[in-house]
Amino acid sequence: MTFARDRYGVAIVGAGIVGLFTAYHLRRAGAGPVVVVDRGFLSAGGSGRNGGGVRQQWETRATIRLAKESVAAYRRFGTEFGYNIWFRQGGYLFLADTAAALARLRTVHDVVRSEGLGSRLLGPEEVGRHVAGIAPGAVVGGAYLATDGTLYPFPAVWGLYETVRALGAEVVLGADATGVIVRDGRVAGLATSAGTITTPTIVNAAGGWSGEFSRRAGLDVPNVASRHEILATEPLKPFLDPMVVRPSDGLYFSQTMRGEIVGGVTVPHAPGTARGVPSSPRFLTAMARALVDLLPRLRDVGILRAWTGFYDDTPDGFPVLGEDPRLPGFVHANGFGGHGFMLAPAASRRAAATILGERPDLDPAEFGPARFAAGPGARAVEGLQLG
Amino acid sequence: MRRFRFGRGARSAPDGATILEALTDARLPSVVRSVRYHRPRAPFCGTGECAGCLVRVNGRPNVRACQTLVRDGDRIDAGNAVPSPRFDLLGVLDLAFPHGIDTLRGFRRPRFAVRAYQRVVRRLAGYGRLPPVTASPPPPPEPRDLEGRLAIVGAGPSGLAAARRAIALGVRPIVIDRGAIGDDLVGADRLGRTAATVLLPPRPGRDEAATLLGFDANGAGVRVRAGAVLLATGSYDAPLLFEGNDRPGVVTAELALRLLRRPLRPPFRRAVIVGGGARALELVTSLGDRTSAVVSAGEIPPELVRAASERAVPLYPRSIVARAHGRSSVRAITIARRGSGEDLELSCDAVVLAHRRLPHHPLLFQAGAEMRWEPRARAYYPTLGPGGATTVPRLFAAGSVAFVAPEAARASGEAAAELALGGDPAVPTAWPTPPVDEAWGADYVTELLGLPRRGKWVACPCEDVLLEEVEAAVARGYRGLEVVKRYTGLGTGLCQGRYCVPEALAVLAALEGRPPEAVGYLTQRPPVVPTPLGALAPFAGAFGQEVVE
Repeated sequence: MTFARDRYGVAIVGAGIVGLFTAYHLRRAGAGPVVVVDRGFLSAGGSGRNGGGVRQQWETRATIRLAKESVAAYRRFGTEFGYNIWFRQGGYLFLADTAAALARLRTVHDVVRSEGLGSRLLGPEEVGRHVAGIAPGAVVGGAYLATDGTLYPFPAVWGLYETVRALGAEVVLGADATGVIVRDGRVAGLATSAGTITTPTIVNAAGGWSGEFSRRAGLDVPNVASRHEILATEPLKPFLDPMVVRPSDGLYFSQTMRGEIVGGVTVPHAPGTARGVPSSPRFLTAMARALVDLLPRLRDVGILRAWTGFYDDTPDGFPVLGEDPRLPGFVHANGFGGHGFMLAPAASRRAAATILGERPDLDPAEFGPARFAAGPGARAVEGLQLG
Repeated sequence: MRRFRFGRGARSAPDGATILEALTDARLPSVVRSVRYHRPRAPFCGTGECAGCLVRVNGRPNVRACQTLVRDGDRIDAGNAVPSPRFDLLGVLDLAFPHGIDTLRGFRRPRFAVRAYQRVVRRLAGYGRLPPVTASPPPPPEPRDLEGRLAIVGAGPSGLAAARRAIALGVRPIVIDRGAIGDDLVGADRLGRTAATVLLPPRPGRDEAATLLGFDANGAGVRVRAGAVLLATGSYDAPLLFEGNDRPGVVTAELALRLLRRPLRPPFRRAVIVGGGARALELVTSLGDRTSAVVSAGEIPPELVRAASERAVPLYPRSIVARAHGRSSVRAITIARRGSGEDLELSCDAVVLAHRRLPHHPLLFQAGAEMRWEPRARAYYPTLGPGGATTVPRLFAAGSVAFVAPEAARASGEAAAELALGGDPAVPTAWPTPPVDEAWGADYVTELLGLPRRGKWVACPCEDVLLEEVEAAVARGYRGLEVVKRYTGLGTGLCQGRYCVPEALAVLAALEGRPPEAVGYLTQRPPVVPTPLGALAPFAGAFGQEVVE
């Protein structure tokens, strides 16, 4: 694909959920012309590789607010974007396997409640009412929020893709963003494998590749791409309503509308995107062990397929949103640590707002790209990353 | 004799019979309904890969009837039908929605009804039911763990020849096959009725073993570590796209031949054989007077003409298989003469697909071996050095998965085994390649897509994805197999694309106006076939960090 023009108002790098939502908010506000470039096919990156979880239970108020707004946006998605994302609010159930883990859930629960959400702390018996067949002694308690849920990521991508194009944005697929053209210390253009365009504003929404792209622009950023694996089982009749997560080992799994169990667990991997996305026996066996130990009746359920994607991690667990003071015109909408899909509607709206010259309700100390220059310090950390 | 229960009835079966064989009488057993429209389904492949024979055995869901032996006292139930696969009430969905149900764009309005839609749709989906929660689940089967110098996957002609060659060289090979392995193979560790589903090759430049993971017929985990791995995984009968191609009675040549080999009466008397090559000839010879016709896209070679005329079997060359008729079992097919479009209806009780063989290559993709598009066969094969070395260290391929002709299968297996064990076998620069009937190529598909349609054309039987949905995706601008897969769900079902992707490649090539190799391919993700969680769990913690930058 090639560009229809040589001059754009905004060029967005990454046609995933964050890039497309940003394009949507920009076009809705009349900004333009807008182009979205992506080096892969639609949904080739994290937006097509995630587990579809959308939760509002986080450790910090800032993330909870973004998540609440995103849940509301996903509830409206079907009527606004023409595709059914099957956003099913079956709840998120956090499991604690030790007293220390339960104490942490209690802390999270207090923050979540203080933001007006009806999360509940559960004893082992109540956990068993949400998830039947948990092995004796595997769980000491849990936390549950009924309005969290799961969705199908793909139709969200299709709906946004078609909507932003209908709103006049261009989406150029198969074009690798190779570098930023800088003039007088600010963004002047974007070089891609499909040609060079003139633009005063570039949004880095490249997901797992955003650290790499920022560095191509000469910016020293702390984003790290980390490989995470996920699997799906054969489809079963419905037996599980909530997404089940266990922060102690990063285990998460839910049952999709189609009946598959989809989920993952943390296994250490070398960072970087260099070796592509192979699945590893290390993950397959670790996930099998975690599921069977927690729910022994899953023993004969077959793993259907496994796949891999990249998280875009930041040191403090918060995304990076806003213009980079070192390079005017270069706007970050990245660093979502594997949770871009759940925060995209709200986070993208704020990224777009910074471009539109509005003052978004964002604390630059928490979300701004300049925060890393000050070193770790006493800033808040969002530590509830899973998978 | 083994005694078992099927539904509410007591049954018996000879020793050594699979559940599928035990349930087969005058016709193929219908044990499962399709996942979206609850269309009647019956066994299709016979090799444990399609979704046509899923049963529940003693509470275990999604058991493949064709791969599982009957045991005394088994309680076998149908997969997902209400009340029974023959009279499933939800089959009304198929009739009420002749053009399918739009789950991508439908069920969004009114918003207050969305939760109710979700509850209903969720209940309709899925195959098996989980076993009930019990106080003390039975202990898991003991895993098996083997080590050796050479592991051979596949015990067909090339795999067996490779094993014998290794034994002759003083090495005890580990031989793995999805089916039984004869006990005449002495001097090898035989892992019969075992599926090797995950392959981790040795890293380049490291002195380490390759690891295979899999499971046996009891669901026990199997791990094999070997200095070298030889893939002799063979080939399988290709699917064919036509209206009603998912109807009970449309079967692969492999399933038909398996049912004929058993001392049971085959479940058909008037089979139409689709194909004009060696496989079709094999079927005409085996089926004899149970053959009602031979249909082929191209000309029919003299030896097949001779075999058919000896048995008074009519031949229909230069024809397109357009439509299968019948609901709970096929009763006729309509063929269209190529070029003229003139229709002809042939009465039958089975349609046997014997037109094309495809390489069984998922382990090669998984291991990261370089694959190349073979334009004549319209399939991907490994790039091989002389003797069968792949581009991955200590990984070899032989036989039909390596595009070697049947007459050279044994020799290629022997050479690859010798090479894998450090020898220097004398090999030809290239093995003879198998015959390919190119009449089933791009022109055939273009003509097929132009035929009138009356009912559903199921492009992906596991997920009930219709041809119309594939066409709609392309019309909306979604191009390439990877994207169309994500848009429609094609290729995401139980067979992992084995019985839809080959045809979808040809369809997308025609719709997008570019060659099939430009349409892309699906990443072949582990495991090769669904692998029980309980089979892999015992090996947790046994793997280091295998991905190195």
